[in-house]
Amino acid sequence: MPHDSLKMGPHDVGGESSQTIDTHDHGMTYWEKFSNGLRMAVSSTGIIKLDELRLVAEGFGEAYFEMEYFQRNGLALVALYKKKSLFSETEFQLELDNQKKNFKVPIIDLPNPKELVHLHDGVAHTHKGADFQEDEFGEGPPDFYFDMLATAAILKNKKIISQSDIQSRIEKFDSVFPFRGISVVTKAWVDADFRERLLRDAKSAIKDMGIDLESFADIICFAQSEETHHMVVCTLCSCYPRTLLGMPPSWYKSRSYRSRVVHEPRAVLEEFGIIIPASREVKVHDSNADMRYLILPQRPEGTNGWSEEALSKLISRDHLVGVGVPDNVI
Amino acid sequence: MSYSGLANPKPKFGLDEKIIISKRGSQGHCRTPAYIRGKAGRIERYCGNFRNPEQLAENIKDADIIPLYRCVFNQHDIWDNYNGPKTDTLEIEIYEHWIERS
Repeated sequence: MPHDSLKMGPHDVGGESSQTIDTHDHGMTYWEKFSNGLRMAVSSTGIIKLDELRLVAEGFGEAYFEMEYFQRNGLALVALYKKKSLFSETEFQLELDNQKKNFKVPIIDLPNPKELVHLHDGVAHTHKGADFQEDEFGEGPPDFYFDMLATAAILKNKKIISQSDIQSRIEKFDSVFPFRGISVVTKAWVDADFRERLLRDAKSAIKDMGIDLESFADIICFAQSEETHHMVVCTLCSCYPRTLLGMPPSWYKSRSYRSRVVHEPRAVLEEFGIIIPASREVKVHDSNADMRYLILPQRPEGTNGWSEEALSKLISRDHLVGVGVPDNVI
Repeated sequence: MSYSGLANPKPKFGLDEKIIISKRGSQGHCRTPAYIRGKAGRIERYCGNFRNPEQLAENIKDADIIPLYRCVFNQHDIWDNYNGPKTDTLEIEIYEHWIERS
């Protein structure tokens, strides 16, 4: 590639050749949700800035893509706190040891079957000391999770954030944010006046629906049409309208998606199962700075008179990023 | 959030104006990806004024407030071997100090 000498670092992947995209969303483990909730809670305090965090992550060099997304961003947070002397290495190590103690359970020391009753509904929990904790695959937490727990504990002690700051964000990412974008789309499908306002000034149209995006970024909405197919990528990191769509799916954060969409969007779309006719323009939006994007799919044929609730069942998150289109109803 | 006010710079570039993205290197954090540097396109819209992310990343107090634009490029003008119709395009946000008149 002719621009290789200008590359800023391992994160600057737009235009690279890369592998086939794993188009499945792998979801998030509890540890990842916690790390994300912590990061969002810290961001809202204004003590550290997003661009500072990005710079630290970019400075990881070769390790950048060796780390999973949440590990990379979580460890960037810890490194930045230390760099800014918001807590000391000693303070951190002490708290890290404390957190690890809570998870120290001999692997052969299985729970007494008589104590298993606490797992059943309606029976009071009797957790004592170090309960074994695992995720849905039966695996314990990854190493970086302890860094996250220690950071959270220190920040709680310093009264910078509270447990509920983290918890409320975990809950909103699970049960509020992912449904907002869908409700915006169904409203635009049934209300021509709203659609027009959404395309002209998405941020205020969404605000008028009573949705507070709690975000610094502006939102721009583009409508799919017979003339143009829109799709969104962030080649430098994974900018995404999180408070409107929820967390980005795993493929959105992957090196392969970030590398390839800008230079072979049609091949990428085929991997997601859609073929765009050559007569239709494919327009890629690299979401690299202060705007965030919502793609408004075409309303499927055969849905005249449908309620917003019925229409919402036809929409998936992929449609709102432009890597999928809702099926017509026959 | 964008910043509006008297102290802010007015945007230098107008709608549809032909531009080139600066072909230069950068130090530290920057939001102009390598693949778009040196490429010719035009202004799609002015997005408002925002704090310079290169300074935000260094925690510089009162980072400059600068115009941000969305620029549009024909894919064939970015990639020598783009495999798609001539009408395919790419749009990206670029801060004013990375944009030159063509």
